[in-house]
Amino acid sequence: MADYPFIRTINGKKYFYRFTVNQRIQHLILAVSVVVLVLTGMPLKFHDTSWAPYLYALFGGIQAAPIVHKVFGSILVILFIFHIFYLIHIIYRGQILPMKKREGLTVKNVLLVLVRQPLVPNLKDARDIGDLMKYLFYFTNERPKGDKFTWKEKFDYWAPFWGMVIIGFSGLVLWNKEIATTILPGEALNFSLIAHSDEALLAALFLFIWHWYNVHFNIAVFPMGNVFITGYLPEELMVEEHYEYYVKVMTEAGLENEILPPHESHEHESQHEGESS
Amino acid sequence: MSTTYIRKFRYAGIVMFLMLCMLAGTSASPADASDITNCLLCHKYPGISRVDEEGKLRLFYVNEDVFNNSVHMKVKCEGCHTDIKKIPHDTAKKVDCLVECHITEPSTETKFSHRDVATYLEKSVHSTKDEKGQPKEFAEDLPSCKECHDNPLYRPLSFFKSQTPGISEDALGRCRTCHKKEEFIYRFYNHITSRLHKTRIPLNIAEVCARCHDNPDIVARHNLSTRAAFSYGETFHGKAAKYLSEKIPDCLDCHVKKGTSVHQMLSHEDPRSSIHKNNRSNICSNTDCHPDASQKLSNYAVHAEFNLEQSKTHYFFTLFFIMLTGGTLLPLMGIIFLDLVRRFFPNASMKRRKK
Repeated sequence: MADYPFIRTINGKKYFYRFTVNQRIQHLILAVSVVVLVLTGMPLKFHDTSWAPYLYALFGGIQAAPIVHKVFGSILVILFIFHIFYLIHIIYRGQILPMKKREGLTVKNVLLVLVRQPLVPNLKDARDIGDLMKYLFYFTNERPKGDKFTWKEKFDYWAPFWGMVIIGFSGLVLWNKEIATTILPGEALNFSLIAHSDEALLAALFLFIWHWYNVHFNIAVFPMGNVFITGYLPEELMVEEHYEYYVKVMTEAGLENEILPPHESHEHESQHEGESS
Repeated sequence: MSTTYIRKFRYAGIVMFLMLCMLAGTSASPADASDITNCLLCHKYPGISRVDEEGKLRLFYVNEDVFNNSVHMKVKCEGCHTDIKKIPHDTAKKVDCLVECHITEPSTETKFSHRDVATYLEKSVHSTKDEKGQPKEFAEDLPSCKECHDNPLYRPLSFFKSQTPGISEDALGRCRTCHKKEEFIYRFYNHITSRLHKTRIPLNIAEVCARCHDNPDIVARHNLSTRAAFSYGETFHGKAAKYLSEKIPDCLDCHVKKGTSVHQMLSHEDPRSSIHKNNRSNICSNTDCHPDASQKLSNYAVHAEFNLEQSKTHYFFTLFFIMLTGGTLLPLMGIIFLDLVRRFFPNASMKRRKK
């Protein structure tokens, strides 16, 4: 097993461990599947455009592309099911089981554990969004001090989560229309098609605009963030996005003296420089 | 330049063209059996055309190779153009598809005609007369032969090992064992195998129906609930048709009862119609399509449109997703925009600067 220290220093620069190998592989399967599914699905949604036939032909046209779409759709469904078991496993093993040994199991305790999961939205996220607005509208020069997962990341997690339920379910209905319509009325196929394609367009635009902007294209990260490959986030991004968490882990690691000041705009920095010179 | 000068040139051109036709005619013999009157003497030239009385450019070129691959390859020119008796001829009348042509129908040994097709058409929803024999309102909108048909080409199939488009040389080899006339073998093979599937791919069929059924004026005049080819195009079937799939159903597969002529298309209100609510379930469960389909599958709304009048539930369901998409993406894109501004102009401030 490779050793993953929580803070790794390379050439004097600190990197913070964010994602395990298991999570990174899950993300990579998700990313590749979603891209292939979008490329094989959108030419059907936008069949009237000039580019659609060329893109569809790249995946083998009407003979092969639907098969490619179903193969990658199946991979995604399997990944989703795996992820649910993975979640249950890590929460149960990591938190519920120790709690059971410690203080016994009550409904309240379990609910508290679930609500306090790092990816569950909370009041701090609402405050952070408010602070971000103040920052974006120049009312302050301080970025919101994010925790381990910021509201943006929670959005990035829960939007595809909901999307996969909707798209996955409607996709399975459309694929197995004969079986589905033994229970559901025929019009369920109409609604499945609308939900499948419209939700997919939303998911694609969300991921390729919002998610990619945040993790790759914004000028602090451009041209590409590599935390999804290496699992480590460089210190400057940790400071910019997760300052509260950064201070916490640096303190825990006994590196209080090396904590950098929070990310602030140039005006503030230049004032600092002016004072020190 | 005066117009008389141009006119002189034009006449000279016509004379030269006719001379060229005659010269070519003497050297080339008509290769096609259907052209015994040597119509191709002139009509083989791609430029042969004129501007008619309505100002429309009319092309009269006949591509011999294409014609010899068409289902009418055996029909002589004058079999359809019955009014042409001499060469050069006057303005020809429009072809009447119901004329008895010079083909003998082999099973009854009578002269062949498309009159039976017209009989089916008269009994169909596309008939120009109603049940009482009275002319329908807007009868001029209803199709006759040439609204849907041109001269279809053969689409032979080879089944020798696997099913592929084209002619199987192996199969032709078998024909040649007994039949000696090459033209007969070729035509017979083409005729049979072209008839074992459709002469037109689903996309072409939908395009033919779309000429009237997607015309908003006609749809409104006849109180039709949908632009049929458009709404078909929004289903997976229609999209696959767009990508030239031949495995998916086109208009005729659902709207014509199995084993009957496609010309006898009936209204969905007619109990004999394949799409009548009592018969609809047999459409999808066709052995070629969804043999395991239950009755409910056929209640799938094939011609659903994003249209409040046609279906409220479809309309609001789609509207929900449009609003969800806009409601999610617009604020997020606003944040991206503001974030970019904030990063590019970090020194701007809402506070008044102190001097």
